[in-house]
Amino acid sequence: MKNAPLPLKNLIRKPGRTTALVLLTAFLALAVFGGSVIILSLRTGLRSLEARLGADIILVPSEAQSKISFQNMFLQGTTGAFYMDAAVTDKAMGVPGVEKTAPQTFLASLKADCCSVKIQVIGIDPEKDFTVQPWIARSLTGELGDMDVVTGCRVEAGIGEIIRIYDQRCKVVARLEPTGTGLDTAVYCNMGTMNTLLAAAEAKGVSHKISSGDDSVVSAVYVKVKDGYDIDTVNSALTGKLRKVTAVRTRSMITGVSDSLAGISRTVTTMVIVIWALALIILMLAYILIVRERSREFAVLRLIGASGNMLGRMALTESAVCGLAGGLVGTGLAAIGVFSFSALIESSLGLPYLLPDPGTLLLLAAGTVILSAAVSALASAFAAWRLSRVNPGTALREGN
Amino acid sequence: MKKQIIPGCVMLVLSLVIAIGSFTFLSPCVHEDGSVGACHWAGRALLGLGCLLAVLSVLALLSGRARFGIYLSSLAVCTVGILTPGTLISLCRMDSMRCRAVMQPAMIILFAAAGLAALCGALACGRKEKGRT
Repeated sequence: MKNAPLPLKNLIRKPGRTTALVLLTAFLALAVFGGSVIILSLRTGLRSLEARLGADIILVPSEAQSKISFQNMFLQGTTGAFYMDAAVTDKAMGVPGVEKTAPQTFLASLKADCCSVKIQVIGIDPEKDFTVQPWIARSLTGELGDMDVVTGCRVEAGIGEIIRIYDQRCKVVARLEPTGTGLDTAVYCNMGTMNTLLAAAEAKGVSHKISSGDDSVVSAVYVKVKDGYDIDTVNSALTGKLRKVTAVRTRSMITGVSDSLAGISRTVTTMVIVIWALALIILMLAYILIVRERSREFAVLRLIGASGNMLGRMALTESAVCGLAGGLVGTGLAAIGVFSFSALIESSLGLPYLLPDPGTLLLLAAGTVILSAAVSALASAFAAWRLSRVNPGTALREGN
Repeated sequence: MKKQIIPGCVMLVLSLVIAIGSFTFLSPCVHEDGSVGACHWAGRALLGLGCLLAVLSVLALLSGRARFGIYLSSLAVCTVGILTPGTLISLCRMDSMRCRAVMQPAMIILFAAAGLAALCGALACGRKEKGRT
C-alpha cells in the first residue's frame, strides 16, 4: 500500500501503454462475460421450455410434420396453422394411461396492425388447459373472456389496449412472463374468441376447414400421461388409435434442443479458453518487454532506496490496476452488447434463450472483473519476480 | 488542439455509420407487401439525424472558437437520436422484429457513443476557454 500512489502515477504518465494493457484485458473480460451470459441464458431457456411444455405428448395432424416444423413454432415463434377434427381430444381420452388432454387451435394472423409479420394466435380451453393456463393465471386474476387476449412478453401491447386481428377488435388483458421461447411472440385467447377469429379469417379467404368440411377443429392436443404408465407405450397406443395424427413426445423435442445447446456451449467454452490462453501469453510477453524497457527507471528507484520486493509489488499493482480497469470496461461492453441484442441473439441461435436473474448476472460480472485483475497480475508475476532480482548497476550499464 | 479534434473525428465516423446504416445493415423492417410501417419513418428520421450529425462533426473539425457550441448542439442531436426509435417514433410491437432487435439497440448505442464524444469535445473546448480567460 505504501507504494500505491507511484504505480498509479506510472500508469497515468504513460497513457498509450496503459490503454493498450487495459484494452487487452478488456478483450478477455468481454469474451468471458459475453460467453458466460450466452451459455447461462441458453440453459435458463431450456429449463423454461421444459416447465412451459407441461405435457408428455403432443398430438398434431400428420401434415403438421411436413407443413411446418412443429418444433420451430415453440423455439422460434414461426407461425403455423394446421387443423384436425376436434373429436381427437375425446378419442385421446379413451386411450388407457391418458390422464388429461388440452386442445389448442392455432391461427396465423394476416399482417397484424402492430407488425410487419404475422403473429401466431393460439386458442386454448381455459377449463381443460394445463400448459398455458397456469402461466396465464400468474398474470391474469380474472377469467379470460370472449374477445380478450393475453399476449406473450415480446408482443409490445399494453394491458387494456385493443389489437386488431382479421379486423376483429381484441382487448389485451394480460401479458405473460418471458419464457425465452417462440411462445413469447404469440397471442392467446379462449376458444370462443378463436372461433370468431376463424370465422373472420374464413371471410377473408383464409380457410381452416379440414377435408371432411367440419368446422369444429383443433391444431394440437396436449396429453398428460397418468403416473405409472410408460409414456412410450401410451404414445404408440395414441398413434395406433388416431388416424392422420402424429404423436410427438415432448422429451424428444427437449433432447434435440439440449443437444444443440451442448454443442453451442462446447464451441463457446473452447473459444473463451483459446482467447484466454492467447491473451495470457500476450500479456506475459508484454509485461516482460515493459519491464525490460523500464529497466533504467527501476534501477534508479533501487539506487534511491527501493528494495527489489518493493519494485516487484509495484509491477504487480500496476498490472492488477490495469486488469481491474480492463475487466470493468470489457464487462461493461459485453453487457451492452449481450443485453441490447438479446432478441437478435435468440433469433440467430434458434434456441430457447432467457437471460438469468439480475443477481446471477451481477455475481457473474463481479467474478469476471476479479478474474481479469487476478489474471493480469498473474501474467506480470514472472516479470515482477525478475524485477525483484535486478542489479541496478548492471541495469544502468545495459541501458547505456 | 488534438483533444478538441479527436472527438469530432469520432463523431464523424459514428454519424456516417448511423446515416449509412439506417438504410443498409441497420435498416428497419422490410414489409413483404411493400407497405410501410412506423418503423420505416423512424429509419428515415435516423438517416436525417445521422446526416445532421455528420455536418456538425465537419463543422466542429473546421471551425475555431465556435467548436464548443457545435459540440453542445451535437450532444442535443444525439439525445434526440437516442429517443427517436421507440420513444418519439413508435416501432413494431414485437421484440423479435428487426426494427426492435437490431435497429433500435444499435442506433441507441451509436448515438450514445457519439454523444459521449461530443461531451468530451465540449469539455476539452471548455477547459481551453477557461485557460484563456
